[in-house]
Amino acid sequence: MKTIRHTVLTLWALVFTVPLLWAFMSSVKTDAEIFDSPWQPPATPHFENWSRAWEQASIGRYLGNTVIVVGGSLTLTMLLGALVAYCLARYEFPGNRTIYYTLVAGMLFPVFLALVPLFFVVKQLGMLNTYHGLILVYTAYALPFTVFFLHGFFRALPGAVAEAAFIDGASHAGVFWRVMLPMARPGMVSIGIFNFLGLWNQYLLPKALNTDPDDYVITQGLAALATSRGASSDWSGLFAGLVIAILPVLIAYVFFQRQIRAGLTAGAVR
Amino acid sequence: MATVTYAKASRIYPGTDRAAVDQLDLQIGDGEFLVLVGPSGCGKSTSLRMLAGLEDVDQGAIYINDKDVTNLPPKSRDIAMVFQNYALYPHMTVYENMAFALKLRKTPKSEIDVRVKKAAQMLQLEEYLGRKPKALSGGQRQRVAMGRAIVREPQVFLMDEPLSNLDAKLRVQTRSQIATLQSQLGITTVYVTHDQVEAMTMGHRVAVMLDGVLQQCDTPRALYDRPSNVFVAGFIGSPAMNIKTVQLTDGGAVFGQLVLPLTREQVAAAQSEGGNGQVTVGFRPEDSALVGAGDGGLPIVVDLVEDLGANANVYGHAAINGGEERFVVTTSRAQMPSLGETVYIKPAADHHHAFHAASGVRI
Repeated sequence: MKTIRHTVLTLWALVFTVPLLWAFMSSVKTDAEIFDSPWQPPATPHFENWSRAWEQASIGRYLGNTVIVVGGSLTLTMLLGALVAYCLARYEFPGNRTIYYTLVAGMLFPVFLALVPLFFVVKQLGMLNTYHGLILVYTAYALPFTVFFLHGFFRALPGAVAEAAFIDGASHAGVFWRVMLPMARPGMVSIGIFNFLGLWNQYLLPKALNTDPDDYVITQGLAALATSRGASSDWSGLFAGLVIAILPVLIAYVFFQRQIRAGLTAGAVR
Repeated sequence: MATVTYAKASRIYPGTDRAAVDQLDLQIGDGEFLVLVGPSGCGKSTSLRMLAGLEDVDQGAIYINDKDVTNLPPKSRDIAMVFQNYALYPHMTVYENMAFALKLRKTPKSEIDVRVKKAAQMLQLEEYLGRKPKALSGGQRQRVAMGRAIVREPQVFLMDEPLSNLDAKLRVQTRSQIATLQSQLGITTVYVTHDQVEAMTMGHRVAVMLDGVLQQCDTPRALYDRPSNVFVAGFIGSPAMNIKTVQLTDGGAVFGQLVLPLTREQVAAAQSEGGNGQVTVGFRPEDSALVGAGDGGLPIVVDLVEDLGANANVYGHAAINGGEERFVVTTSRAQMPSLGETVYIKPAADHHHAFHAASGVRI
C-alpha cells in the first residue's frame, strides 16, 4: 500500500517539477541547443538570455508594475480585511450579519459576470490604465475571502485575553493593534501569502482594465512575451522571461508552504 | 485601598426572563478577602464580571470607594483581574505581560522595571521574565497572571477561579500563597470559586450564591456553624451534611427510632405557614458518632467506607417511614465498620440544624 502511494506521489511530483526544471534548463541554452538536444544540459550556461529578457522583452518593467500593483493592493487588503473581520467577529451590532454575508457573497460572484460593468465603472472614474485603479479593483476582489478567513480566525481567539487587555487599560483600538492582531499573526501570514499568490497570478482583471503595454503586469507581460519572442524566434529569451516571471511565486511557495496549505483548507470541513 | 458595594445590582441577559444575578446586596470592607462561592451557573462569575465592567449592570449600582462605577469602562475602575485560564498575552514575554498595563498608563520605564522585578521576586518568576507564556508550566502561568495584577497596585483584585486549572497538590500550595500575598498587600479582593474548601480556607468572609441570589454572606465559621438555609447547610462542609425532611412532634424531629430534640420556638416556627407537620433537620457527618446497639442510635446498613487515613467516612442507608434514606458519618479509623454491617449513628447533642420544611430557612 505504502509503495503504491509513494509511487503515485513521486510520479505526480515529477509531472510538476520536470517541466519547471526543463524550462529553467532551456532558459540558459542557446536556441540551437534547445532544438538540437532538448533533453541535454547546455554546454555552457548562457545567462545573457536572462538579461535580454529583462531588458528587451521588458520583463523587468512588468515585474516592477506587478510589485507596485500587488504590493499596494495587498497592503490595503490586509489592513481593511483585518479591521473589518475583527469588528464583525467580535462586536455585536445591528446589521452585523447582513454586512458579513454580503461581503462573503462576493466570493460566490463570478468575476466574469462583473467584468463589463466593472470596466465601465473604472472608466467613469477615470482610472483605466492606472496603478491606483487596478489596486482598488484588486483589493475589492481579494477582500471577501480575506474577511471570511480572518473572521473565523478572530472568532476563535480567546475572549478572555481581550478582556484582560481592557482591564489593563487598553482602548478598543489598543486591544486590536497591541493584542488581538499580534495574536492573529499566523492567520494574517496565511491569508497574506494566499492573496499575494492570487493577485500575482491575476490575468483577467488587468487584461480588461489595464491595456497600455507600458503598464502591463507580469501575467500580461508573459502573454506579450510569447508573441514578441515567438515573432523574433528568440526561444531562449522566451524561456528566460518565463523563469524570471515565476521565480517570485516559486520562492513564496518554498518559504511559506505551511501557511499556503492553511489558507487553501480554510473553511473546509475538517 | 478600597471598599466595594453592590447595591441591588442585577444582571438580566437579553432574551431571558430570570436574572443571572438578582438584586445583589453586598458590602466588602477595605482590605477584605471576600469569596463568592456556589455551584456552576449560580451567578458568581457574572457578579465578579459586573464589578470588573465586563458585564452590564441592568439594575442597581456598584460602588468602589463610594464612587459609582456602574457605567464606567473597565479601565476607569482601577481593578486588576486574574482569569481562570490566565488570559496571558501569548505574543509577549513574562516581563511584557506584567508591564503592559503600566506601559499603557505611560509609567516611566525605570518605575515599570522596579515594579515588575519586585512582583517577579515575590512570585519567584525572576528567571522566567524573558520567556513567552507557552514556555511556562501551568503553575508558572498562574503566577504570571498574579504578577500582572500585582504590579498594577490596583484598588481591588478580582480573581475568577484562578486555581481550577492547576493540579490538586499545586492548588493547595497556591491557595495559601494567594492568601498570604493578599494579607501582605492588604488589597481588597473578590475571589470566585466553586470549591467550598477554597472558600472556607481563603475567605475572611464567604458569600454563598444560588440561582443568582445571595444566600448568605458570613465568616467561614459562621457559615459552618449556623447555615441560614438548607442550601448553605448542604453546600458547606465535606462530606455534605445529612439533611432529611421528617415528621415533627412536640418533642422534635422523628428520625425512625431517633428523635432529634427541637426547642419550643423551633417547633412553633416549623409549624408556621406551609410546614405541613414536617421539619427539615440536618447533622454533619463529623458531628455524629457510631454508638452501641442499645444507646439509642439510628441503625444503618453500611454501603461504602472511605478510608482517609486520619479518619473514615461511612456511607449507609436506613429505612425511615417506608423510604430508604442515605446517611454519612465520619468516624475514627479504630471504629471503621465493614461493608454490609449494621451500625448505629447518633448525632452529637446540640449539633443539629433545623430548617423550615417548605421554605428551607433556618429555624
